[in-house]
Amino acid sequence: MSSRLMYALCLFLIFSLVLASAPGEVAFDNYHQPNEVTSLLKSWSAKYPQLTKFVNIGQSSGKSDILVLRIAAQGKGVEPDSRPAVFVSANVEGYHLVGTEAALLLIEKLLTGYGSDQKVTSILDKRTVYVAPLLNPDVAQCYFSQTRYERRRNSMPMDDDLDELIDEDGPDDLNKDGLITQMRVKDPEGTMIPDPSDPRLMKRANAKKGEKGVYKVYTEGLDNDGDGEYNEDPPGGVEVNRNFPHDFEYYVKPAGLWPASQKESIALIQFLVAHPNISLILNFSTENTFLNLQQTGQARAAAATVRVPARYASFLGLDPDEDYTLKEIVDAINASGVTGGQQVDESFVAMMLGLGPAMNIDNQDMPIIQEIQKDYKDALKKAELGYPEARAKGVGKGSFIAYCYFQYGVPVFSADLWAVPEPKKEPAAKDKDALTLDKLKTMSSDDFLALEDEKIETFLKEQGAPPNFKAEMVKNMVKAGRITPEKMVEMIEKMPKRPATKEGEHPDSYILKWSDEVLKGKGFVDWVPYKHPTLGDVEIGGFAPYLRVTPPPSELKKTIDFHADYYISLMGRLPQLELKETKVEPLGDSVYKVTVYFTNTGWFPTSTGQGRRARTPWPIRVELKLAAGQSLFSGFRVVNIAFIDGSGGTGKAEWTIRGKKGSKVTVTAKAPYLDSLTTTVVLQ
Amino acid sequence: MKQNKIFFAFLVTAICLVVLSPKISSAAEVKLSFDHFYDHAELTAALKALQKANPQFMKLISLGKSYEGRDIWGVIINNPKTGPEEHKSGFYIDGNIHGNEIQGTEVALYAIWYLLNNYGKTELATRLLDERAFYIIPTMNPDSRDYFVNKRESHRTGVIPVDEDQDGVADEDGPEDLDGDGFITTMRKKDPNGRFRAHPDDPRVLIPVRPGQKGEYTLLGTEGIDNDGDGNINEDRLGGYDMNRNYGFNWQPHYVQYGAGDYPFCFPETKATRDFLLAHPNIMGGQNFHNAGGMILRGPGAKNLGEYPLGDKRVYDQIGKKGEKIIPGYRYLIVYKDLYTVFGGSIDFLYSVLGIYTFTNELDMSPTFSFPIEGERDEGEEEDEEIQRLRYIAERLAEMTYHDLVLLGEHFADWKPYKHPLYGDVEIGGTKIYGSRVPPLFQLADTCHRNAAFCFFHADQLPKLEFDEVKVEKLESDLFQLDISVRNNRVTPSMSSLAAQRKLHRADRLKLEGKNVKLVSAGRLFDQYRGITGEVEIRDNSIWVESGIPGFDRVTYRFLVRGKGSVKLIYDSLKGGYLATTTTLK
Repeated sequence: MSSRLMYALCLFLIFSLVLASAPGEVAFDNYHQPNEVTSLLKSWSAKYPQLTKFVNIGQSSGKSDILVLRIAAQGKGVEPDSRPAVFVSANVEGYHLVGTEAALLLIEKLLTGYGSDQKVTSILDKRTVYVAPLLNPDVAQCYFSQTRYERRRNSMPMDDDLDELIDEDGPDDLNKDGLITQMRVKDPEGTMIPDPSDPRLMKRANAKKGEKGVYKVYTEGLDNDGDGEYNEDPPGGVEVNRNFPHDFEYYVKPAGLWPASQKESIALIQFLVAHPNISLILNFSTENTFLNLQQTGQARAAAATVRVPARYASFLGLDPDEDYTLKEIVDAINASGVTGGQQVDESFVAMMLGLGPAMNIDNQDMPIIQEIQKDYKDALKKAELGYPEARAKGVGKGSFIAYCYFQYGVPVFSADLWAVPEPKKEPAAKDKDALTLDKLKTMSSDDFLALEDEKIETFLKEQGAPPNFKAEMVKNMVKAGRITPEKMVEMIEKMPKRPATKEGEHPDSYILKWSDEVLKGKGFVDWVPYKHPTLGDVEIGGFAPYLRVTPPPSELKKTIDFHADYYISLMGRLPQLELKETKVEPLGDSVYKVTVYFTNTGWFPTSTGQGRRARTPWPIRVELKLAAGQSLFSGFRVVNIAFIDGSGGTGKAEWTIRGKKGSKVTVTAKAPYLDSLTTTVVLQ
Repeated sequence: MKQNKIFFAFLVTAICLVVLSPKISSAAEVKLSFDHFYDHAELTAALKALQKANPQFMKLISLGKSYEGRDIWGVIINNPKTGPEEHKSGFYIDGNIHGNEIQGTEVALYAIWYLLNNYGKTELATRLLDERAFYIIPTMNPDSRDYFVNKRESHRTGVIPVDEDQDGVADEDGPEDLDGDGFITTMRKKDPNGRFRAHPDDPRVLIPVRPGQKGEYTLLGTEGIDNDGDGNINEDRLGGYDMNRNYGFNWQPHYVQYGAGDYPFCFPETKATRDFLLAHPNIMGGQNFHNAGGMILRGPGAKNLGEYPLGDKRVYDQIGKKGEKIIPGYRYLIVYKDLYTVFGGSIDFLYSVLGIYTFTNELDMSPTFSFPIEGERDEGEEEDEEIQRLRYIAERLAEMTYHDLVLLGEHFADWKPYKHPLYGDVEIGGTKIYGSRVPPLFQLADTCHRNAAFCFFHADQLPKLEFDEVKVEKLESDLFQLDISVRNNRVTPSMSSLAAQRKLHRADRLKLEGKNVKLVSAGRLFDQYRGITGEVEIRDNSIWVESGIPGFDRVTYRFLVRGKGSVKLIYDSLKGGYLATTTTLK
């Protein structure tokens, strides 16, 4: 199809969208180009002026607008930017096009559901939903270019090879098939060989098994700048989803020279910082935190106990050679009186001792995250999407969601929406006495120690335990009483499922099989000889770009539909501050003890543990306003409640007030991410 | 060694010239005084006058506006007759990033003034101006500077409002001059349960009571009231961040590093500075001016990302230790080890991202302070508590003598009674804003001169490359072997070890230019006597010198060249300068 025809078709499509009014306005049977996304958002904001506001939060490095659609019923209650809010983000990686589609469908569901769907209506009446469907437009555009190349870097010019030429040596579509694939060439220094199971797949030669390397594998392209390297300075600069400031990788070019050095990441951070009303972030990227919480920094988890340098220890009455928990140090500081009555917290101590940033999910947040994970898994099962859970990817270094949790300090969840389906492994004809999870559950430590090492190792492998988990080591742990079989089961169940690759099986063989069977071979370009100007005889072929992250349009609808609904259901879980009870206790005719109890009837706590450590969510500020003639006997005029747990947790503020019987005081509670409350209390 | 002696002899002469000689003023000379703190308007006028008098050498550029709209001035000094600035090793200076650390601006201004006014008069100034390019930002924080100089308010931060007490209103509860004496000092209250007592010899000095002892006073902190009525005093002051924690290396968020800002370079001032540095990749040496404490600091600011490579530590050591001699009383120290942990500091960004050898000087120190003499007690051993206490008291008494008899009482407000709206009867008094951290005016010129002299020494120690020797040997009728040696006559290598390891910027290049000449093969000559040569990759008619030329060292390359006649040899270093020579193949 000519591109002009395509364009006309798109225009027609958009035009018909604008006119359509029934639910299900957009077909969602293909991917939207960035300009189509913009038109769609514009047409929606024109059509639903009472529900939407079109916001431009900045420009990409390629000068495309980065857009947010604010969705909230206006004219009802509080102004939308002051309401508790959810931020839905998609496509920060650029090549994750399916995320954009999910976000667009979510917008459509909200807009068309308002007034008809009771859940949606109640969300939009009381809350605000900000949706950013296309956070990395430059990279997204690459999918639609004449030559399809799975580019991940934004349009910032970068001299990767330091030759003072910029982006001069990228891939080239040598065989003119419209796809950038790979080249393999026989080379004396080659380390790769065709896989014996399917010679289309390339694998590293295993010298220990007597295999000798034959090929070198390159990305399809020329040595455009004649420096002997191939495609070493490709177009573009930075992968935006590696450019955020938590656990940033310095000295890794695609991550950027420093954190938040890119227009896209800066625009996003500025938007979030300017909207302290956001208390939940729902993201679409190749990371799936519902299924794999693994944090990149886990290996560097902060120690549970620390030592206090002598210069502090001496005035705190602590021993510099002793290990203390943060809590113990907090107590010591508060007891020492050096802070002049100001209470310090663990965050302060961590900063004072230079402990650096948090690298693990805060213990207080774990139960909340696990509960949602379980809920998602159940829903996923019910939806029968056949998603290969074991392949879910965790959080990347310098990623946007890592920033959201660790620095912005709100709960964040991310779904990858799709992965190449994996054929179900036929359960191997199992030994009757093979160890299983169920058997382990009922075992005593002695039973476990009596098992043969081999049996345990087979079991561990099946469960996808890390390769360093050996039978002997586990037995030693059991012997030492550090773990019981029961505890082991608990741990295994929580462990991210790792794909168990059969011995000798190529890790990509299931993708090739899927391409052959489902895509009728379209996912793989067969190796075809080509005369390369500098490399000589090469073969060009390999997996098609975007294969692993982009579902075929036919599979698109069901996953984005499920996830849009799921995200809308999570929006119903925002914290909700309410007044629970007010107690007034007369201590005399003119002295009253007033206690105001608040509760959180939402599901999420009012803030996360990590947020409180990062000090980003403001405490709930409870202010007492006295009338003329009243005074405080005890208590502070402003009481800060750090947080209130979800599902009915409570928090209180109390004062002893001198005032005339029957006179009134006013109490206000507020935080930017909660509805504010005001109540009047009569002293009697 | 000999060179250093000559340098010192020169330095002494230079000081004598400045201090003693009557001004020999040329038409171009701008008179500036260095017994005066410049506000932003005065600084602007001084810089403009200097530029006007020296248009051939000095460029004055506004790098951007501060939050309140003041120009952030960038000065470039170069003698274009001796080459464009990008062909010279550059030296960078900034001052006053912390709004209350003001004298760095005067030091920077002095450095500009000294170089320009002494060009053609002294050998050093002439040489530096001919051989180096200077990039100077006298004040990075003009907003807070004016608060200090004109309003006598001390603010480390910039002035973008930050809601420190999270009550929805920003900067609403800062200190104020309650007693109207023109200065914000401190408050104390008579209190039999207080933890302090007046010293019997000098009741202005408060000493901590021993356990069980009765006190006389409670300290109430900075002069002020509870403006927002939340129970806390002065808890939401102007600004509330630290620009020297906002740079893009080892940056950590606010909860790890106080004042870091929302993300690196989120402030207009740090962003402007960054862009100035990025626009001049020839900068190889750098200097930040802060106060106080008498320190010449190098990074790293934090130990989590490791120490510097050995080769670079040696360069720092050579320059830093010389600094201790140039500025008596100052100590050459390492930030994370000897001071405290700093994440996202300028010093780390300059060195670890841009490959610039950078020092931070903490200008001036209390006259009663001296670093403990090394070897006096064991490393890590804590001083006896009682001795610490006595030392503290002795220092406070000495400080009062200094206030009374040297500063002549100018900078100390005697305690005076005041009726505080919340505390009732209090006393207000203490050291005034110019009484600590900044030098008294009679010492300002000394601070300026010695610290500028340290910059000049560092700038003079930037790489100075020359073609040492070019040997041509004919192998065949049109095939020649060229041995090309490049020498570095200074301590600083033409690329830092870190830059070479981490590929922070492009490598140095050795190029060949000429009609019909072709570089056929190249190698680095490791042993000229035995001809042992390591293979080097050729890129057109040039090679990349991946680690540059080390300090006080020489590197030789052996080229196999086909062709004839005149060839031009170019050594092109991003940070080490640009040189060319010609030779003939015959």
